[in-house]
Amino acid sequence: MQGRRAPVPTAITIAALLFLFVPLAIVVLFSFNSTGSLTFPFAGFSTRWYHQIIESVAFRDAVVNSAFVGAVVALSTLVLGTLAAYGLTRASTRLRTPIAVLLFLPLTLPGLFLGLSLLVLFSRVEVNLSLGTVMIAHMVYVLPYYLLIAVAALQRLDPALEEAGADLGANAWLVFRRVTLPQVWPVLLAAALLAFALSFDEFIITFFVIGPDSTLPLFIFSTLRRTVDPSVNAISSLLLVITLALFAIAFVLTLRGSRTSGLSIETEPIGSAAR
Amino acid sequence: MSGPSAGPRVRLRDVAKRFGDVSALEDVTLDIDDGEFVTLLGPSGCGKTTLLRIVAGFERPSAGQVLLGGHDVTKVPPHRRPVNMVFQRPTLFPHLDVAANVAFGPRIDGLSKTEIGQRVDEALALVRLDGFQPRRSHELSGGQMQRVALARAIVNRPQVLLLDEPLSALDLKIRLEMEVELRRLHREIGGTFIYVTHDQREALALSDRVVVFNEGRIEQIGTPNEVYRRPASPFVARFVGDANVIPVDVEPADDGAAEVTVGGHRFRTPASDVSGPAWLVLRPEVVGVSAPSDDRALRGVVRDLSFRGTGHSYRVAVEGLGDPVKAEVSGGSVIDLGFTVDLTWDPGACRVLPRDPGED
Amino acid sequence: MASLAEATTRTEAAERRRVRPLIATLPAVAWLLAFFATPLVIFAVYSLLTNELYAVGTPFTLDAYRDALTSTLNRTLARNSLEVGLSTAAVTVMAGLPIAYWLRFVARRSRIAVLFLIAASMFASYLVRIYAWRTVLGSRGLINSALDRAGLIDQPLGFLLYSRFAVIVALVHIFLPYVVLVLYAGMGPLGEGLLEAAQDLGAKSSLLWRRVIIPIMAAPAFSAFVFVFILAAADYVTPQFLGGKDGVTLGVQIQQNFIGVGNWPLAAATSFLMLLAFVAVFAVGSFILRRLKLNDIRLSS
Repeated sequence: MQGRRAPVPTAITIAALLFLFVPLAIVVLFSFNSTGSLTFPFAGFSTRWYHQIIESVAFRDAVVNSAFVGAVVALSTLVLGTLAAYGLTRASTRLRTPIAVLLFLPLTLPGLFLGLSLLVLFSRVEVNLSLGTVMIAHMVYVLPYYLLIAVAALQRLDPALEEAGADLGANAWLVFRRVTLPQVWPVLLAAALLAFALSFDEFIITFFVIGPDSTLPLFIFSTLRRTVDPSVNAISSLLLVITLALFAIAFVLTLRGSRTSGLSIETEPIGSAAR
Repeated sequence: MSGPSAGPRVRLRDVAKRFGDVSALEDVTLDIDDGEFVTLLGPSGCGKTTLLRIVAGFERPSAGQVLLGGHDVTKVPPHRRPVNMVFQRPTLFPHLDVAANVAFGPRIDGLSKTEIGQRVDEALALVRLDGFQPRRSHELSGGQMQRVALARAIVNRPQVLLLDEPLSALDLKIRLEMEVELRRLHREIGGTFIYVTHDQREALALSDRVVVFNEGRIEQIGTPNEVYRRPASPFVARFVGDANVIPVDVEPADDGAAEVTVGGHRFRTPASDVSGPAWLVLRPEVVGVSAPSDDRALRGVVRDLSFRGTGHSYRVAVEGLGDPVKAEVSGGSVIDLGFTVDLTWDPGACRVLPRDPGED
Repeated sequence: MASLAEATTRTEAAERRRVRPLIATLPAVAWLLAFFATPLVIFAVYSLLTNELYAVGTPFTLDAYRDALTSTLNRTLARNSLEVGLSTAAVTVMAGLPIAYWLRFVARRSRIAVLFLIAASMFASYLVRIYAWRTVLGSRGLINSALDRAGLIDQPLGFLLYSRFAVIVALVHIFLPYVVLVLYAGMGPLGEGLLEAAQDLGAKSSLLWRRVIIPIMAAPAFSAFVFVFILAAADYVTPQFLGGKDGVTLGVQIQQNFIGVGNWPLAAATSFLMLLAFVAVFAVGSFILRRLKLNDIRLSS
């Protein structure tokens, strides 16, 4: 494997990685600060802030709520999204286009719109805001992201395999269950995990449609406004760890998915022989 | 496999397939008997694969009927037809090992585990892959994968086995080996095989009968020998035997035979009821190439020459003829490029086909 | 008539009109119609109604739009939003291109690791990032402390926090990973051998960029730019924490109109005007690309 030598892009890449991770590292670092200070110098190592927030009922409730909402959203998106992806990739008619446009449209609108318009809807039909309204909103927000992954995964499959399945006696449902799904399930699961993570971390839309119960991002938001001590850092670090863990699992699943179906997500290393 | 039945195993009646105003298949009427090995032969895009897919059920004909074992299956979806197909590329299920691949059909049929196991072993033994049960597709060579695909198809004991150019993705040497395997398999199973290929050599080697397609229509149906030695049209002559097809005019001679004029000289042909504009069909291996001697022979200049192992392949440009004359000469001495030569042939070895005056 | 082979493959796909699978999309479609399309329509209608303090009523009027357009405050905020959006988009795309280039052409064994890191950083929580930058950019945060220790400054730099600069920095932090991945994916066509072939035909470095790399990257870069622009311009949380007085954007205003002030029609009208602006930016950009014939370069496989 040969690589080109290019000092400028390399420098920018390193700078970008530092830019991306140093601020986050500082947040984590100061979550262990023994004094209540958020500024340098770093006083000493302590886990008191973690103890403090873990004992906070409001925090625990917020985490549970976020997890609950995330799980419901992930499962519903898995079902709705897989069906929709199947329909989009297996149909061939002009009707497909308007449907695809509708399904992917939420991607193009900022959360502000989604949040406000849903708030308007709920007030119009006089529905109380609650975790339920949050779930509804999240499903709208998350679906296109799930679809992007699911559609790509289903399209990558060799159609000849499904024809072979049909030839050997499997009807449409059996083909999906015995031929398509076994190849594609790791990627779909990864996409569902992504849906969970997106929902877990969602704030912009949630802000508008949430009721009395809080989710973790809302909890962080209100804490940010009130306190100026490292407990925020502790909460943030926990949130970081959770979402990064989810990402790692999803990443491994995607790699495994490409191996079982014999497809490769790696792109060939580009290099040049000596110029 | 399947027992003898009253009529042909496969009947195709006036099958047509059109896409918009483009016709992929027209007027296809064909009977295939039980136990026959029939090859659909033709160039790319001639419709042969489309026809195979119609028999399999992946395409619906725009017109006509498909009957299997006497039953009309024209509207029956592929998973309910008693046929199985081997595809061009080995479409083994990558998430299953060899045994599970082969067992796929029987499992859907709901057979018992023991019976499935037996059938799988049988099928793999037939394709000479015993012991390969636990392997996965990425551990197999191209030829092995196609054999597994074969096993996966025949394990279901289909009425008809469809093969869509199954050897085209393989190396030449493996292809030749697989041809032998296929013939053996056909003998041992005794089933009805419909084979699709564009390789005329393969078609002639494997089949009981060959169906030659051109632009969606059947040009000729016959045994390999018939199709090769007695082509029914210039297309078949060119495609199957790579024959020289020369436009001539037939004049009856005094003794009942006929004569044609080629390149300014007259030659005799076998008696036939063709007169007037015609095609003279000369297979390259009947054309002899020699040093110039007889002024009444067809004379030309060697424009191309290639070594064939068993002999040489010549292309000789003759004045008055549009295309060079192809000759395959075995053994013998070589006549080099640029030299003038005489082309000769046994009058009995050529054929005459009718020609529309407009064609050239 | 076209060659039979071409026509067969071309029309075969169109011919096999399978409508039935579309039924599977019905649940998702129904959901979005109910909870995406309908709310937006209602919201649009609200923009044409009269303000009744946390409610709306007839008569239909264009007052909200008039107020939105004539307000000088809105003009300032719109300018802020535009600046924030364009700056964020520009910085992320300009930084993203060399990083994507590095990933594609320079990286060897580190490619997977760096890709993983960049993708992972996308998952860092939105609020956490804002908070992180508040700490780093603060008067006693990382930057100021470091500069102070090094003796380079006497007083903390004020512009770092509670300014448009801070908002842009945080938004860049949020969108950079996404842009890098999109651009990296967009470099797909610049596959094995393409650049080598061009070089073999005599293309120098600058020509390579002008004739090969930039045309292929134009479309993905544009779509990344527009995506970031829209989301950055409409953001209402980052400015609240990092914007100070100068960094207030239209999004914040809309949110306050709705929640704080209770003037729903005005919030709706401002939102749709903002949407209109986004569409305009996208349309202008697409038009320019199409004119330059850079809009849809696909290489056959």
